[in-house]
Amino acid sequence: MVLLSTAFVHLMTMAAFWSGPHNTQFNPFLGFDALSQLVLTITSVLFFIIAIYLCGFLKEKGRSNNVLIACLLCLLSSMTLVALSRHMGLLWIAIEATALLCAPLINYYRTPQGIEATWKYLLISSLGIAFSLLGTLFLAVSATTLKTVFLPDILNNAVFLSPSWLKLSIIFLLVGYGTKMGLAPMHTWKPDAYGEAPGPMGALMSGAISSVVFLAVFRVCQITFHAHLQAFISPVLILLGILSLGLAAIFIMNQKDFNRMLAYSSIEHMGILVLGIGLGGGAVWASIFHLINNAFAKGLIFLVAGNLFQVFHTKKIADIQGVMHKLPLTGAFLIVGFIVLSGFPPFGIFYSELLILKQALVTHQYMAVFFYCLFLAVIFFGFSKVILNMALGTPSEHVAKSTKKDDFLMTMPLVILTVILLGTGVFVWASLYHFIDEASMLLGG
Amino acid sequence: MWLEVVLIIIVFLSVAILGNSRLKTIIQLFALQSVVLSTTPLLIYPSFHAIIIAIVIAILKGVLMPVLLFWAIRHVSIRREVQPLIGYATTLLLGGVLIGVAFLISSKLDLPDKGISNLLVPCAFSVIMIGFLLLVSRFKAITQIIGYLVMENGIFLFALLLLEKTPLLVEMGILLDIFVGVLVMGIVVNHINQEFGSASTINLINLRE
Amino acid sequence: MVFTVYFCFPSVFVNLEDGLDKMGIPVLLHLGVVLVLSPLLLGIIGKTKACLTGRIGAPLLQPYYDIGKLFRKGNVYSTTTTWIFQAAPIVCLAAVLVSSLLMPLGGLKAPIVFWGDILLFAGLYGLARFAMVLAALDTGSSFEGMGASREATFSCLTEVVLFLDFIILSCVSKKIVLSEMVQGNALTSWHLAGPALILMGVSYFLVLLAENARIPVDDPATHLELTMVHEVMVLDHSGWDLAYILYGSAIKLFVLGSLLVNILIPSYHLSPFMQTMMFSGGMFVLSFGIGVVESCMARLRLNRIPQLLIGAFVLALVGVLVVLLKGA
Repeated sequence: MVLLSTAFVHLMTMAAFWSGPHNTQFNPFLGFDALSQLVLTITSVLFFIIAIYLCGFLKEKGRSNNVLIACLLCLLSSMTLVALSRHMGLLWIAIEATALLCAPLINYYRTPQGIEATWKYLLISSLGIAFSLLGTLFLAVSATTLKTVFLPDILNNAVFLSPSWLKLSIIFLLVGYGTKMGLAPMHTWKPDAYGEAPGPMGALMSGAISSVVFLAVFRVCQITFHAHLQAFISPVLILLGILSLGLAAIFIMNQKDFNRMLAYSSIEHMGILVLGIGLGGGAVWASIFHLINNAFAKGLIFLVAGNLFQVFHTKKIADIQGVMHKLPLTGAFLIVGFIVLSGFPPFGIFYSELLILKQALVTHQYMAVFFYCLFLAVIFFGFSKVILNMALGTPSEHVAKSTKKDDFLMTMPLVILTVILLGTGVFVWASLYHFIDEASMLLGG
Repeated sequence: MWLEVVLIIIVFLSVAILGNSRLKTIIQLFALQSVVLSTTPLLIYPSFHAIIIAIVIAILKGVLMPVLLFWAIRHVSIRREVQPLIGYATTLLLGGVLIGVAFLISSKLDLPDKGISNLLVPCAFSVIMIGFLLLVSRFKAITQIIGYLVMENGIFLFALLLLEKTPLLVEMGILLDIFVGVLVMGIVVNHINQEFGSASTINLINLRE
Repeated sequence: MVFTVYFCFPSVFVNLEDGLDKMGIPVLLHLGVVLVLSPLLLGIIGKTKACLTGRIGAPLLQPYYDIGKLFRKGNVYSTTTTWIFQAAPIVCLAAVLVSSLLMPLGGLKAPIVFWGDILLFAGLYGLARFAMVLAALDTGSSFEGMGASREATFSCLTEVVLFLDFIILSCVSKKIVLSEMVQGNALTSWHLAGPALILMGVSYFLVLLAENARIPVDDPATHLELTMVHEVMVLDHSGWDLAYILYGSAIKLFVLGSLLVNILIPSYHLSPFMQTMMFSGGMFVLSFGIGVVESCMARLRLNRIPQLLIGAFVLALVGVLVVLLKGA
């Protein structure tokens, strides 16, 4: 299918770049640096896997999926554009494009709740993106002597930017891109959107698009770092991170809907990412490492959710019981996904969370440490309660009678993702290591 | 002087949108505001670059977007807004307060370029704030979209400060993005209307927690 | 009684000048112009409305005939009323006439000029309104009471907007004397403070419509008492009382409108003859404009009128902010 072939080509192109030198520039607007290459690789691998999954997923429905495929392809190109852009204005355009193109994906099942989720998503993310446009303009105003917003120029001359405008622009950019990322308190669209979107769309949104928006936030932090304004921004970032963690912890406790719970988990991980950047030093390395693992882990578990919905036709946790009996493969991956996401060793997320904790202790942020441990424990507790209930137990009668089995095309992606997670989390290749080192060097890690 | 007159007309129109309750009039006022807005680049930097932007804005925001929005509500039978979250009188007063705040903030900021009028940044901020107020306090989906668009108008006014430095590509990209955004929103409003029978977002309250 | 009252008022203020004779002629001239020309405004408005709705309508001089007819009739007084009811129309007319003495009309300079006379200007209209409200309450009828309460509510908002407009004018012209504020408004001040004056013009126009009981605030042609604001307050008046009230409202429209015309048409550098021509032209256009507005809109629902006035308030507020920004 078209989707699959395009994804494959994209993946191959990305692989080609890995072999070349880093920091290639195509023209003033587009170019790579270490982090963007990393993010783009994550995105293209994830997209490829989801494309495989979709081949199985879309077979079920009887209607034409042209709009969906078109949206997905445009989404891929706009995500590529975000990673490649070296101009803050182009970055904004690409992120707005990703936001808009996600909207038709949410309402796949055409239910009233789907429409509600789409509308909330559209409105809140449009508002956030308008704020980030304002932030970009403020950045341009602060750079009037430079007359440009090309990233390399700004980074080199960051100390010459007018500080009041720069601070204002950073705040607005953070609020705007943070809305798109789903940081509290701008997260309100996430539970609804991820809750209503079907499995693969949720995987794409939480895995690929979150990574790409994280890249945008990273760029903002790069500018802050080069302008020596870390002291200004790190309390804000730490606060946002802890707030997201806290909110996720509170709402995961009594969740009744599986996809919404996964959405809150996504908010939690975004919070951890931002917390890592805010703490600085070794935690930056940890954030980037976390980014990679999180993207694939989220992909895994959302695809599992998609499988569950196909068979059980419900998202309510109370109605999904006995997955291990009904769909043994999917059930196994459900447990695997849960283990990865909640930060169990030996997977990578455990390591990155530990590193962030260490950095927080080193920089004497004891309040952050306290809340961090507390919220992570609460989230782990809530998660495990739900997942173990779902996996074990006996399925209800009508489900047990249905003849749906694990579809090959819908479970192979899960296998691939687990393998990748093992590769990135447990046995990390040396070149990946170097890459992350270089990426974190951009922010002084 | 003409620039300042035009800026004041834009602020006046946004206050008029804030106080109005009829969907049709709100869309028409927005179209008028966009057309007036499209003359501003020509007043600041008369150049080829500015002419292109002016024409594109006039067509995109003054003609195409209102047509799109009218298409989205063609089946809506009730063309009046329900009572906004805080009542019209309070909304108008709050709008006035926000304009005052905008003027206050912009007097505190040091502008890099005093060549252009003193009034540009305050007016831009006030239009942004009024658009935000519209977005937040109204229930009908169309009015929320118009609030977002008014906010974008205000952001464009602010971007005029930097007109000669922004590449044309980026400007076009921004406008295209906004247009696609309105397209998507219009389609969703259409869906809302089909599903719920009215274009009010009062019904969109089922997803909780 | 009428003539003594309205010659008394000016004499209070002319003790600063030397002698009644010196002041007498300009005052009489001013009063004469106002008395003669103001019902014509009402006639133009009526004729415009008729033409726009495809009728021929009443003749242009109809208000004169109406006032003359009312003067020839006798009065009927309700037994529940007191002397307030009989005095109110006189106070109203007198206050409005004195306020006209403060306003320059085209080439005609204002006879009474002193520092801070805009406060007197606004206060006189407040006095007139107060007298009318008292008379309405005096009748003891619920219709008039309803009209009086509506009038009082709307005037709370219009007074604020009026004062904000005066603030804008005085910041622009750096004077607090009505004649000089309006006179100092040459083309240069339009150049300097264009936007603020536009905002002031729009909000003042809304105030004009509200004060003079025009659509969209109040429909002068309605016969349904529950929808009236001004008309219902004067339901019980008859004969020459009603004539005074009708005349008073015409003069009020003329004077308030002439403020707007003086600001919008900066002509103080021209000869007095040209000024008079432009002034008359402006008044004609203004009444035509009011007629057009009346024909194109319907009266607003009563609970929307405060919103309209708050909108005017916000516009005037923005104008003040703009002027302060420019000045600062």
